[in-house]
Amino acid sequence: MSGRPAGPAAPGLVCAFAVTRTPPDPAVLAATTGHEEGGPLRVLHTDGLCLLVQDVPTALFDDEALAERLGRPDDLERCARAHHRGVEAAGGQGRSVVPLPLATLYHGDRSARQAVASRAAELGALLARLHGRTEWAVKVHAAEPASRAAVTPAGAGTGGRAYLSRASARSRDRQDSHAKALAEAEAVDAELRRYAVAATRHRPQSERLTGRRSPQLLNCAYLVEDAEGAAFARALTGLTTDRAYPAVDISASGPWIPYSFARWDEESWARREHTRQEVRS
Amino acid sequence: MTDVDHRYAELDTELCAPASGSLADLLERVLDKGVVIAGDIKIDLLDIELLTIRLRLFIASVDTAKKAGIDWWETDPALSSRAARDELAEENARLRAQLDALAEAAEEPTGAVR
Repeated sequence: MSGRPAGPAAPGLVCAFAVTRTPPDPAVLAATTGHEEGGPLRVLHTDGLCLLVQDVPTALFDDEALAERLGRPDDLERCARAHHRGVEAAGGQGRSVVPLPLATLYHGDRSARQAVASRAAELGALLARLHGRTEWAVKVHAAEPASRAAVTPAGAGTGGRAYLSRASARSRDRQDSHAKALAEAEAVDAELRRYAVAATRHRPQSERLTGRRSPQLLNCAYLVEDAEGAAFARALTGLTTDRAYPAVDISASGPWIPYSFARWDEESWARREHTRQEVRS
Repeated sequence: MTDVDHRYAELDTELCAPASGSLADLLERVLDKGVVIAGDIKIDLLDIELLTIRLRLFIASVDTAKKAGIDWWETDPALSSRAARDELAEENARLRAQLDALAEAAEEPTGAVR
């Protein structure tokens, strides 16, 4: 009714991916598809910062449409991968990058620039802090029990008392091995922190999510200096191949753009890095 | 630990795309992490873990289920009402068996003494 004509002239939305100090490589941007439904990746400049964006259709990206689409598994995966592609295209060649969360959307370039300008100082500080550093994701699970069948030896008494004593022995074993696994997980974390500038713990993923039968004990992210990257990877490989910690399984992925360390809490950052320097000297 | 071995060689060169197996890691980061600069549009997402679980189920059901025989969600009581029923039935049977065994054990001595 308000009479704005539909079609190519219809206003779209601006989807933002990441902030950098130096402009991303135009060739990389041209070769990268962001969201499949949107236009080419382009860069907005403001306050000495670059914001990587893409025009996307309102019909698919406004609050209702997007919430509905992200509730559908296939669309969720496509959107998440598209966003990550954009963030990676912004980085590369050692360029420091501050990733924005999926679905950071603006009505136009002007408000997108304003949003960056309003936090320009903090974004600049964050870019400096993340420069030359990448993130590693490490998950520690309790090792799968060797064999469940082994705990019920056939013919070892069928009476109630025998059953009860078996059951309580089993529960004692379970508690013992859980405590052991937790202690080993902490030791793994302590070892890996030696090579990291910062570490953070995410909520462990549930068994429903991991698809494992044993619980996830630690879900950590480590921020690692590029110069320490090889040492970190070596430590990780050592931890898993030497089997120094048999009660846990360690799995890792990386290097990642430092998503988990793109945060505003500068104070805790400063404190942590300060402590680390003291420990090292 | 092939994942790490594989990345290790490339560590100094470029940021690599994460392994396809770490979709949960990707969602954890893309949906939940990163610096928030106020957007014009506010999306109310469902619980991220729930979304990720759904996605995992979706992927598992589409391609890995047949080749790997993965069916954990069918036997997970939290996800399958059939599995929940099976588990209850199983537990019921187990408890009955124990009860019988206990009753037998309780009767035996009395029978022997008198």
